Amino acid sequence: MLDVLLGSWQFFLIGQYPNGPVGGLALTIALSVLGLVLSFPFSILIALARTSPMAIFRVPALVLVYAVRGIPLIMLIFWAYFVVPLIVGRAVPGFTTMVCTLVVYESVYLSDVIRAGIQALPAGQTEAARSLGLSYLRTVWYVIMPQALYNMVPGMVSQFVSIIKETSLASVISVHELTYSANQINASLLTKPLQVYLILALTYFVLCFALSSLARYLENRVTRKRNVTLVRLLEPGATAA
Amino acid sequence: MSLSFACWNQAPLLPEAMTDLAADMITFSSVQKWFGQYHALADFSAEVKRGEVVVVCGPSGSGKSTLLRTVNRLEEIQGGAITFDGQDIHAKGIDLNHFRGRIGFVFQQFNLFPHLSVAQNIMLAPRRVSKVSERVARERACALLERVGLSNKVDAYPGQLSGGQQQRVAIARALAMSPPVMLFDEPTSALDPELVGEVLAVMKSLAADGMTMVCVTHEMAFAREVADRVWFMDHGRLVEIGSPEAFFSNPQTPRAQKFLTDLRVR
Amino acid sequence: MSFDLSAVVAGAYSSRLLDGLQITLWLTGVSWLLAYALGTVLAVAYMANNRIVRGMVFVYVEFHRNVPLLVLILLWYFGVFTLAPGWLASWTNGPGSEFRASAFAIGLCMAAYVAEDIRSGVRSLPVGQNEAARALGLSYLQSATWVILPQAVRIAIPLLVNRAIIFFKGSALAMTVGVAELTYVTREIENATFRTFEAYLIATGIYVAISLLIMAVGAMIEHRFAIGSR
Repeated sequence: MLDVLLGSWQFFLIGQYPNGPVGGLALTIALSVLGLVLSFPFSILIALARTSPMAIFRVPALVLVYAVRGIPLIMLIFWAYFVVPLIVGRAVPGFTTMVCTLVVYESVYLSDVIRAGIQALPAGQTEAARSLGLSYLRTVWYVIMPQALYNMVPGMVSQFVSIIKETSLASVISVHELTYSANQINASLLTKPLQVYLILALTYFVLCFALSSLARYLENRVTRKRNVTLVRLLEPGATAA
Repeated sequence: MSLSFACWNQAPLLPEAMTDLAADMITFSSVQKWFGQYHALADFSAEVKRGEVVVVCGPSGSGKSTLLRTVNRLEEIQGGAITFDGQDIHAKGIDLNHFRGRIGFVFQQFNLFPHLSVAQNIMLAPRRVSKVSERVARERACALLERVGLSNKVDAYPGQLSGGQQQRVAIARALAMSPPVMLFDEPTSALDPELVGEVLAVMKSLAADGMTMVCVTHEMAFAREVADRVWFMDHGRLVEIGSPEAFFSNPQTPRAQKFLTDLRVR
Repeated sequence: MSFDLSAVVAGAYSSRLLDGLQITLWLTGVSWLLAYALGTVLAVAYMANNRIVRGMVFVYVEFHRNVPLLVLILLWYFGVFTLAPGWLASWTNGPGSEFRASAFAIGLCMAAYVAEDIRSGVRSLPVGQNEAARALGLSYLQSATWVILPQAVRIAIPLLVNRAIIFFKGSALAMTVGVAELTYVTREIENATFRTFEAYLIATGIYVAISLLIMAVGAMIEHRFAIGSR
């Protein structure tokens, strides 16, 4: 296993760069970060639509959510491969196709994280803000979101782990990310599939396990902070500090 | 389930004759229990005689519940010994489950199994531990429910019962294994005041039948009426032992005096 | 080229689609069975008061939760099955080996999640439940079987249903090692007819319909086994 690692670690990490395009782990991370950042605004919109009191926003959001939840990611990638060029009117690289797919797919899953964060807030927050005369949007912007976003951080980190794992499917449409690199290495070595795919699995594991552990740690901190605040509020003679 | 068996079977509540009727039921000798740095039971020695009702009282945090939980080894001890019916219950290699079945335990929070009906709650241990047949176990469950005044709740679920009813079912569940001794860990503390009486009534009738009982409770009226002896604990130590009359009218130690004064003020 | 669904379900294509669907369902069923059985065992093992067992379960669960399913499928199919010793070779390399490797990979991965879901159900139970069972004389396994698991699994039903849908969808990844399941045959039909839109639409419709069906059945089960309402 060590000789495989020594022979091809550079290809695993950055692909053919600098002699060719960036690939490997670097591309996996680039895909994941782009996927998370770009799907974030959409996921907020979907979450707001789903928690909206108006059916005209709620119903379409619900249809989208149930549809995407029912489609395998790989099917969605094929759809994007087919539809995105039709929309933009020219051929697009696999990287773009994958980013588009991730944005659609993750907006929906991320919206659940955000919705949970919003719904975890006591109803009194909205009521208090509205009775102060803030509009719905102002209430969301100044009162709900700042609190909800803090509660959501651990969930977002876990979702980032999911995205990293999902980017492995980009190899199916020949994006040169980590899994694709491993396939190529395997094809050139031919005799060491177990070693190659174990290295591949362990690479994902190290990255994702570190992030999952971070999510767990943050989760504990958020929960503790919420409880501490509660205790402070319940303590007799406590002052608002 | 629509079909219910007739509840005709009056099962005996007390087990068959013991081998050595003169021996103590439970003995504590120099029991030490630590929770980390916290000394929960300090050199605790006492014994419970056969057929005796002991009420354990003391301020909260004095180790009463811990004491009870060491008897069936829900808590391990770090020193000393506890015997039940002559057997060292903390010895290595004993069939702990066998002994636990013979020590009835009633919890403050009832701890009924919410996914099982009342009858199934009572039948669980006889069926799975003693391998009693379904029919016999059910007949016995019916008899026990009649004993605690709940024959009409055989097929109800715990969630449909009041707290007082749940605690009576929990008592019936503990009795189902025909234990020679019953331990009660603050059985009425989680109940609304108006529901306390029905549970105490069941406990009194058990005592009247000669059951050996150890009760951790704040119900001083119950202690006066039913207890043979009162143990007063503070900071993990047995501070005072006495008959209820002596203890309540003339406590010997300042700590017991303060405890009783605080109780009356409250 | 106008929209024409009949082009992709005409003649042999519809039976190809049905074959693909059948393999998707088999793959899902086999991996579910494996996952629920192993997942329950892992959850019970984790409840044991044994640090070595807990550590092993932890490593198993974390490995499978932090490696992409696609990579696990590739690892099993190319990495493990191709290197199996001779007496196993007909099973690991013969016809259908790609199905078996995929079922293994999906089932073993899902088991980690099932174990985690059940464990979160166990964690939400009051400790008094286990104490009461043990105080009655039930052994650790009896308490797990009759008291803890029945409640924990009921609490975990929504999580388990979500998990079932995710891994039903995950079965599509088996196409990458050549299992002729629904997505695989959809691609074949698309290549043969050039009716991309129609072919994808049918496959997507089937996937969404089955996912909704799983959700509906899950909701029914949850309602049917709700605690204390029977």
